[in-house]
Amino acid sequence: MHKKQLEIQLVQRFSKAFAILVIISLTAKLLYDIYYLCSLIFYLFQMTIKPNNTLASIQEIADLLTDIAAELMTTGAHTMRITQNISRMAEKFGYSIELSVFQLSIMMTITSKIDSTNRLTVIKKNRPLALNFRIVSDLSALSWDTFDKNLTYDEIKLRFHDIVTQKRISRWLVLILVGCANASFCALFKGDLYAVGLVFLATLVGFFTRQEMIKKHINHLIVFTTSAFVASLLAGLGYVFHLGTTPEVALASSVLFLIPGVPLINSILDIIEGHVLTGIARLVNASSLIVCIAVGLFTSMLILGLEKL
Amino acid sequence: MINTEMIRLIVIDGALAAIAAIGFAVISNPSRKAIAVSALLAAIGHGLRFGLIHSAGLEISLATFVAASCIGLLSILFARIIHCPAEVFSFPSLLPMIPGLFAYRTILGLIKFMRTSDSIKAQGFMLDFFHNGLTTMFVLFALVVGVSLPVLFFPKTSFSVTRKY
Repeated sequence: MHKKQLEIQLVQRFSKAFAILVIISLTAKLLYDIYYLCSLIFYLFQMTIKPNNTLASIQEIADLLTDIAAELMTTGAHTMRITQNISRMAEKFGYSIELSVFQLSIMMTITSKIDSTNRLTVIKKNRPLALNFRIVSDLSALSWDTFDKNLTYDEIKLRFHDIVTQKRISRWLVLILVGCANASFCALFKGDLYAVGLVFLATLVGFFTRQEMIKKHINHLIVFTTSAFVASLLAGLGYVFHLGTTPEVALASSVLFLIPGVPLINSILDIIEGHVLTGIARLVNASSLIVCIAVGLFTSMLILGLEKL
Repeated sequence: MINTEMIRLIVIDGALAAIAAIGFAVISNPSRKAIAVSALLAAIGHGLRFGLIHSAGLEISLATFVAASCIGLLSILFARIIHCPAEVFSFPSLLPMIPGLFAYRTILGLIKFMRTSDSIKAQGFMLDFFHNGLTTMFVLFALVVGVSLPVLFFPKTSFSVTRKY
């Protein structure tokens, strides 16, 4: 009796242990399956995020590089900087480039360093000049990062997109600051309080005219002539109503906010560095804008009858 | 002949130039640090030019050249500090030195010359036109060449300022 009871107990114990073992192993298998499935899904997910870990083709790289070059040209970098940035990035991808920068278009031949028959020539049209130094400085940083951090094609493309789409300073703040700037310009030329006030007002109206006209994509030359005309007409009222003792200074400094300083300096820099053709193109552009400012000023002076003074 | 009155004038001049530089800098949308630096450089440059003209008695285009090359050198220094291309803040800080009044007088001289029939007066207007026009041109050239000289002397440095390592 005692022996039989012991036997039954033993069998019970064994069967319990076996059952526990089976449950544990089943759970483990299930957990492992879940883990495997999860990792598979995760891996697939990663694959969809980064579809091409393979090297980008020569067409893709050429497109990206010309996009960056055109953006630099539009935002007001000088030719030497464009060439340096672009060849630095191409170097990292294992290509060498020849770049011709013109006012209206950019021409680039990209050649593989390993296989020189693998080459491509791309021509990209430039958009008209819209100064944005934040983009210039960020793109230069991007080119150095490409060189130093081994960024992949996709990372560069993503960062380029981020840089190009970032927001500008609010146009109303710019309007006020330009007004203050031109007013202090007038004070630098020893204008009295009336002149400074008049110039502030004239600049606000003139610059607002320019912003609105540029938004409507009107020809640059017409924009500059009209803004200069409006601003100098307002500032010339100082002469008509005999405000203060220096109406001459008010009239002279009212149109100075239009002077295309950056294109002028860029053109001389280009000429000094040997990119004579681009430099002259920029110089002619800037000079024609200055002539337009003079025409606007001239017109309002004739209307107000100031040439007899 | 540097006295307190002169220093006061120079400081006022520099402050006005700084305001002007901030206004002209925001048109080209730089970062905030670059705006601050361009205001500082404009104040230094324009104050220096004012001092050179009025206390050292230098001619305006020569003084402009000295001030512009000073701005160019300092801009490369600041470019290394804040990792930003030098021209981003050296260009706006030059703008307060643009000879607007001379340019205006050039145009005025031209208009007067065109409208007068008295040949003696016309000679005077032509003289005005050439004097002011040449001054405008030389000051512009002095500005540009002055600011780009340091870039030509240190090409490696000025192209690698945005590198962070």
